[in-house]
Amino acid sequence: MDAAALVPCTMQVNGDARTCAITPATTLLEALRYTLGLTGSKQGCDKGDCGACTVLVDGVPTLSCLTLALACDGRAVTTVEGLADKGVPHPLQDAFDRTGGAQCGFCTPGMLMSAYALLQREAAPTRDEISHALSGNLCRCTGYTKILDAVELAAAELRERAK
Amino acid sequence: MLTLPAFAWSRPQSVEDALAVLAAHPGECLIVAGGTDAVPNLKHRLHEPRRLVHLGGIGELRGIRAGDAGLEVGALVTLTELASHPHVREHFPGVVTAAAHVASPQIRNMGTVGGNLCLDTRCTYYNQTFFWREALGFCLKKDGTRCHVVPQGKRCVAAHSSDVAPVWIALGAEVEIASRDADGAVSRRSIPVEAFFVGDGVHNNVLAPGELVTRVLVPGAAYGLRTSYRKLRPRAAIDFPMLSVAVAVRGDAARIEELRVVVSALGAKPRTLGGLDAIVAGRAHDAALAEAVGAVAHKQCHPLSNVPYDTDWRHDMVPVFVKRALADALGVPA
Amino acid sequence: MSDGKPTQAPGTPPAGMAIPGNRTMPKEDRLTPPVWEGGRAAPPNGDFRMIGKRNRKVEGLAKVTGRAVYADDLVLPRMLHAKLLRSIHAHARIVSIDASAALALPGVHAVVTGADMPTHFGIIPWTEDEQALCTDKVRYVGDAIAAVAADDERTCEEALKLVRVEYEPLPAVTDIETALAHPEWQVNEKAGEGNISKHVRLEFGDVDGALAASDHVVEGDYWYEGSTHAPLEPHCCVAEFDSTGFLTVWSSTQVAHYLHRDLAKVLNLPTQRVRVIQPVVGGGFGGKSEPFSLEFAAAKLSMVTGRPVKILYTREEVFYAHRGRHPMRLRYRTGMTADGAITGTDALVQLDGGAYSSFGLVTTYYSGQLLTAPYALPAYRFDSTRVFTNKPACGPKRGHGSVQPRFAFECQLDKLCEKAGLDPIEVRRRNFIGERTKTVNGMRVTSNGFLECLDAVERESGWAAKFRRMPYGRGIGVAGSMYISGTNYCIYPNEMPQSAVQLRLDRSGRATVMSGCSDIGQGVESVLAYIVCEELGLDLRDVRVVAADTDLTPVDLGAYSSRETFMVGNACLDAARHLRLKIAQTLAERWGVAAGEIVLANGVACASSDPGRFAISVKEAFQWAEARHGTLGSVGWYQSPKLGGEYRGGTIGASPAYSFTAHVAEVECDPETGFVAVKHIWVAHDCGRALNPVTVEGQMEGSAYMGFGEALLETQRYKDAAPGHAFGLHHGPSLLDYRMPTSLDTPELHALIVESVDPEGPYGAKEAGEGPLHPSIPAIANAIHDALGVRCDALPFDPPSVMRLLRAGEARANWERARAQVGGPR
Repeated sequence: MDAAALVPCTMQVNGDARTCAITPATTLLEALRYTLGLTGSKQGCDKGDCGACTVLVDGVPTLSCLTLALACDGRAVTTVEGLADKGVPHPLQDAFDRTGGAQCGFCTPGMLMSAYALLQREAAPTRDEISHALSGNLCRCTGYTKILDAVELAAAELRERAK
Repeated sequence: MLTLPAFAWSRPQSVEDALAVLAAHPGECLIVAGGTDAVPNLKHRLHEPRRLVHLGGIGELRGIRAGDAGLEVGALVTLTELASHPHVREHFPGVVTAAAHVASPQIRNMGTVGGNLCLDTRCTYYNQTFFWREALGFCLKKDGTRCHVVPQGKRCVAAHSSDVAPVWIALGAEVEIASRDADGAVSRRSIPVEAFFVGDGVHNNVLAPGELVTRVLVPGAAYGLRTSYRKLRPRAAIDFPMLSVAVAVRGDAARIEELRVVVSALGAKPRTLGGLDAIVAGRAHDAALAEAVGAVAHKQCHPLSNVPYDTDWRHDMVPVFVKRALADALGVPA
Repeated sequence: MSDGKPTQAPGTPPAGMAIPGNRTMPKEDRLTPPVWEGGRAAPPNGDFRMIGKRNRKVEGLAKVTGRAVYADDLVLPRMLHAKLLRSIHAHARIVSIDASAALALPGVHAVVTGADMPTHFGIIPWTEDEQALCTDKVRYVGDAIAAVAADDERTCEEALKLVRVEYEPLPAVTDIETALAHPEWQVNEKAGEGNISKHVRLEFGDVDGALAASDHVVEGDYWYEGSTHAPLEPHCCVAEFDSTGFLTVWSSTQVAHYLHRDLAKVLNLPTQRVRVIQPVVGGGFGGKSEPFSLEFAAAKLSMVTGRPVKILYTREEVFYAHRGRHPMRLRYRTGMTADGAITGTDALVQLDGGAYSSFGLVTTYYSGQLLTAPYALPAYRFDSTRVFTNKPACGPKRGHGSVQPRFAFECQLDKLCEKAGLDPIEVRRRNFIGERTKTVNGMRVTSNGFLECLDAVERESGWAAKFRRMPYGRGIGVAGSMYISGTNYCIYPNEMPQSAVQLRLDRSGRATVMSGCSDIGQGVESVLAYIVCEELGLDLRDVRVVAADTDLTPVDLGAYSSRETFMVGNACLDAARHLRLKIAQTLAERWGVAAGEIVLANGVACASSDPGRFAISVKEAFQWAEARHGTLGSVGWYQSPKLGGEYRGGTIGASPAYSFTAHVAEVECDPETGFVAVKHIWVAHDCGRALNPVTVEGQMEGSAYMGFGEALLETQRYKDAAPGHAFGLHHGPSLLDYRMPTSLDTPELHALIVESVDPEGPYGAKEAGEGPLHPSIPAIANAIHDALGVRCDALPFDPPSVMRLLRAGEARANWERARAQVGGPR
């Protein structure tokens, strides 16, 4: 398909089948933010250095600013808007709010997606494991302390729920 | 935000299709897999292809297979998959360390073994925006005529920056390349990873237009080698290597039979240290041996200002990191 | 009415009447704040129910669910995108600009240049030296020249390449030495002479005499490289000029009020027809505390095209906007008696200001004025010179102007302690200036919890067992500092309040707080809500905060100089207490009890003498009060008392309250590579009172983190002027090359809150956002000395620098010697 033509791209976004018409030179982040109106995912650095744009593609934390939207055709994308369940914040979101894990909040959506994926595969991560899982998400406000606290708190809460 | 240039798009479903697309648009294509290197470079207008060929749909490039002949790693295997594969973890810890030291978790989730091998060379005067490079006056790797690292130099010295490639080289791994002849027949050839790289920073590998990296093959002979990887970087994540060292040893600390040391993030290709046999063959690891290996490394490796970090200090760090990597491989304290 | 013309009411000015200029302001007369029984620190209902508790923030859930709207999340119908053309030269005359080819490109709607809005502006009224887009000259690589509006960003980029600019390159200066050596290469024509941006010399007491009489004198040269804020959100704004001639600008600013004024001025619009709205801002740290080219350019392009225009800076452009920490060259001579009393301090400071003034006048004063506590300095002199260079302008970064001298001075103290063989924490105690006192430069100090800060870090870090007692390569260091809680004057002289709040209660049981204050993540909107809840007994969810919208909110000067909690907090406290009083009087009347008995807490209004009989919901209490007094609203404002020394510049650095901080840092160094790993930072901070400990800790941890980052990792450098290299080109304007620490690099941060309860702060609160950064850098430097015996006097303490130090001197011998003085490994 040529460069200028708009082509359809269909993704399962937060469980909904969403189709948008985009040019090949559209990143997933642009498609989410400007075409689908899901502005929760943020753009901080333009090119994969900060992690603010992290979303899940087929469950895997992915930098949406470096991902071409067409490469996600037919795949499942989860953004921060998809974490809450019928409007009830996910325990991870709630924990970020309670512990002060979000100050300016700009890194938060990406941070949450990385943390969410971690908790999906590891119910009881150590603080060091959390730190590694979040090492591709820069935060300029918190010094990470309260973010690590939040993930620990959410993990404990999720384990409690699973009992 | 930084925009992407306009390009056309192909998403072939097989190697054959991919090669056909490349053949149909000679000189116009950029091959993309994970996109973690290509997309920033596109945003910086370092590549200006008419067409992107996205490999994501080619199932045959996925998967890790261990067989009698050795280990086969598909070009689309992600670095996360490589670093967490049980067989790789058991036999090739150096590969695991290198893959796990690439950039960030997200980049490792996206970045592929093939892409990592074909990573464009890097330079502080090159990996910048178009505006920045215009203010600089461009450089001979892209849009300009002079090298800002070696002002009299005629050849680009941008640094080979793949974390995993040095370990592949130390293991004697090969890379499989698929190509298409004039009749459209697909052929595959394998060459040592070491021979894959050439000393030209503009294009530092032998891959010809129209060709594709399909697999990395670790020979059966590599089993039993002790491997390690050390990476010099200011931060514990995200950063490219300022210096990288891969070590493969046959034998153990009591008796080293063979030692291969590959150092990179220097110039356009990884450097395999020469003259180590005379130092190590049949000897036990001790401080004097480590010192001697370090001295060889120091003599043979010459960091440049292509990497934005103190050059003299990086040179000083070569023997330190080589000695540490050697100790890692042998499982002894540095 | 005989002639049929409407007559004018007596005294009504005729339409179009000119108002005489140059009217003198009346002699300064400060507003008198209300005085509350029990003071400002006391809880209104016996004890605190909201204040001091670990509460959520009002906007927290919006942020964690992705609903919070930042500037780039805004999309307006028919919105265009715009980008700025920036200079590729560090210093050049603009000979001509030809945008015709760009304008001809399909999709391009307009191009504006400096000629379209040549009026100079600047955050400090005395140094207005900036233009929205340069007209005659560019002064750094990245200086903005023109702006293009088009259908999308890529079209803008293509159009920018078609704008032809003819430059006449000029000699450029990119360091302090060259700027001073070549006054003829003048960077900024607004400079008084040569490249001097500002010079301040002040002396208090007999410095030379004090130094001559000292038992120990240490002289040291220090280099502070400078750093940038790098908030995660790049600057962004949307401007819409509508058909009625009304301009609305949504901008990621931390100073909506100053932006409002400058937009009106530069665009030649009446201020009452300009509205500035601050959406949720993704971090500022001082990097968004001035108007920038994007806001003017977007507004002008909207005026030209009649359509909304958005400009989003790339990350690279954020580095060019800069206004970060000034590089400073500092020379200190400091004297001490044998028993550890500081005698005299002589400071010579040079500041590299970049191409424009920014806040530089203030920075130059702050580089000296803010050093005079928490230690008593009997004699003090500083001589500070800010120079212009052809680089992005420096300005206020978290800890504006005083982080650099604090680094130097706390290292000086450590060296003096080593010389005198004294424990550095003990020496800091001995020199404590005390509370309710005055500094040598005339600054009034009210509350002061610095001793408690020292106690806390000493205790928590296990100092006594570690200092000079750990094996080679491991070390521990201490440093202290103080910072302002707002300044005592507005940036432009006026007699109006610095902060204001309008508070509205309605019969639904809800309170709405409106204030021009700026929440940039530090939590000031929540501070307002906590105060209203505390005073009126409301649940946090029943308070709505409307902030930083110049149409809806009364003026607050914005988020800078750590002023918000103290100043707008006080304004809010007053507004809430006015209404609380009305409600209490209403209930007291109805119930026949004393107003002082009325308690509003946990959603219930009752009389404390008989709560079983006299109790209603707060909502009902609002309704009774509304019935009794009419619609319920109140205002509160803050204006600081007159403060400062009686000399020129004596008000700069004066603050109604100072915060105090102590840090202990513990490091593990690799003597073979020079890598320094900071394992722990204990940060104790006297914030007066923690209105919400969670957010106070967050500020302390974030500050310590940011200081740690600039101490070890972040480099703010410009490429050398080697042949062929671009002069003054930022070494790597990206978050890859500007290495802010990741979660794996960051030490364990231990926040230790100290509460001195300030008599003038809201409930006793003082600042917490900037002070806790200061000691990070010297505490780490001092810890490295304890570990390795080397003195890191130049930033950053990166491995190559540490290795050079290890090789240069007799580091190991120095380490052994220091060890022998105080204990030694047990």
